[in-house]
Amino acid sequence: MAHTTTYAKTSWDTLHNNGPFPLKYLQITELESNSTLPNAIARYNDATLEIQQLIQQALAHNQGFRAYGSRWSMSSIAHQKDRLHYNGYMNLDIPIPVDAVRSDSPYQVENLFFFQCGNTIKEISQKLSQSGKSLKTSGASNGQTIAGCISTGVHGSALDVGAIQDYVVGIQLITGPKAKDVLYLERHTKPALTSAFVHQLNATVIRNDELFNAALVSLGSFGFIHGVVIEAEDRFLLHRYVRKVDKQLALSLADTMDFSSQVLIPEAVDRNGKPLRPYHYKVFINQYVNDPQYVIEVMYKKPYVTPYPDPFTIINKSLYRDLIHLLIKISEKYPKTIPWFIKKLEKQILPDVNEETLGTLYETFWDAPYQGPAFACSFGVDHKDSSKVLELLTKTTLQEGPIPGIFAMRFVKGGKATLGFTKFPITCVIEIDGVLWQKTNKLISLKEYSNKMITVLQQHNIDFTLHWGKNADWSYPGLINYMYSAKAEEWKKFRTALLRPELARVFSNHFLESTKLSDSVSVVPQDLIVSL
Amino acid sequence: MRKTTFSILFIIVVLLCFTSCYSVRIVSSQGTVNPDPMSERADFYRDKMIIELDTVVKASAFTDEVSFIASGTRCKSGKLHSVEYKNSFGASLLYLVTFGSRRKVKIKYVCLKTEN
Repeated sequence: MAHTTTYAKTSWDTLHNNGPFPLKYLQITELESNSTLPNAIARYNDATLEIQQLIQQALAHNQGFRAYGSRWSMSSIAHQKDRLHYNGYMNLDIPIPVDAVRSDSPYQVENLFFFQCGNTIKEISQKLSQSGKSLKTSGASNGQTIAGCISTGVHGSALDVGAIQDYVVGIQLITGPKAKDVLYLERHTKPALTSAFVHQLNATVIRNDELFNAALVSLGSFGFIHGVVIEAEDRFLLHRYVRKVDKQLALSLADTMDFSSQVLIPEAVDRNGKPLRPYHYKVFINQYVNDPQYVIEVMYKKPYVTPYPDPFTIINKSLYRDLIHLLIKISEKYPKTIPWFIKKLEKQILPDVNEETLGTLYETFWDAPYQGPAFACSFGVDHKDSSKVLELLTKTTLQEGPIPGIFAMRFVKGGKATLGFTKFPITCVIEIDGVLWQKTNKLISLKEYSNKMITVLQQHNIDFTLHWGKNADWSYPGLINYMYSAKAEEWKKFRTALLRPELARVFSNHFLESTKLSDSVSVVPQDLIVSL
Repeated sequence: MRKTTFSILFIIVVLLCFTSCYSVRIVSSQGTVNPDPMSERADFYRDKMIIELDTVVKASAFTDEVSFIASGTRCKSGKLHSVEYKNSFGASLLYLVTFGSRRKVKIKYVCLKTEN
């Protein structure tokens, strides 16, 4: 049997020290060993039963229960004050045989993979690589678990691909302790697995586009995500270039996403000399210097061919964390020193100009070492508003700060998830990240800073969203309605239909309550979540 | 007075020499680190299941190599993610004055996560 160890705790924190948050119990589940139970499906089903027992315990004690993986989210989205469940050891991958894929499925069987919730992006990438496959995109690093990624909408900067949840084709949920509470969701317009295969997982199939889209970015609140089916693609290489370009050009590319009229990289052109469309585009902005040029990072997709040069830097050096701590303490007392510190640390913060690498997605977006307490505020806007929003946010930062961080812009194709924060045809993700600070009488708090940014965007009627896993004033009045309006109601409707009231409470948390997303909807059509 | 100052300076220099150290870490580009959900560290090893060896190995003057085996409940995979070796002036001095029969070893290592 899979077994769970329960530890009595008083607090819990995120990886980046954005807490601490109160906690009663931390539960850690480990799978039965494969020497005792060699069949992957049997071990998976064994884990299902274990999770159902944990949900039953939470229910019996009238407590909340929430799964987390790598605790990379900086908001309190992963936190539950009663019972937190660590699922990082639940890292099975279940082979999908040819006859497990429906004949009317639009997916190629060799591109479908079933992963248990605790597999990290790095683990999945390595497992896919063994089959000559790759994820379509990842975040800027690889430590998040797949369930954590899709629950919060982790994204990279693949402007024609989307976020991680956009290549998920099936989700297995555990919504309660009863046998009927084990569900497998997929789109009815794009089915993947046969019912016979799903029944081996002791799950009931629901093929329903709207339910699936609501469950894609579920904020951990539609039940326990036990497994996901993803669509991979053939392994590819990314040729990465870092350049410094004219500020106006960088912003114009952001606003238009038109890369066809400007040669950015002389060798990144087709046979006719026309510029190729990049896979990835990122702009770095140090708002404290008036440089006529911005550093940009651009990547082009290439077929996988070997050999290619080793993409890893052999010797890596990092700053003393105590030095960063000292600088932030000085900054809290004398905020005017922040721009000077950032300028001095620019070499550590920004990539080297003229740097070039060639590697797989896994090698390009590799490990991100822990560098101490950190924050990040991340807005999603229509890419057409990129330069306008950047100007508003940097101006606010200069007026209200300075704040110990710098801005960057990334671009992600829109998806179908009901509460996906990459909701625009191409979302520009404008983010400021840096070192976490404490409020002083000379420096506003992170929550106040976020509040000012939200206010200024609303005052200018900018349609925006916020990254669920990043810092924000999440209790800002009317925030969710402003960002999602009818979509938020739709999401709540599906959650109400899916979870019995007592289980809706189990899978809720303070984050959901403060954003009012835990509210149930009074009238829900009876056939809302039927399989179509 | 001059003698006292000299003594204090000497003690400070000796203490600094003994505490002076540096470490080098080798990290694998492949494999996933074995996580530690109970970790409360605030350094490179945050959330990693770290194993620390801090011991003095007794050896004869003729002993050449000393090996440690990566295994046990904290290293179920038996495969290595990273190894950090720390050297200090004190450790080098100990080796010299004992003609190699006492070898100070300070190693931190992390294993790979078990594949299921």
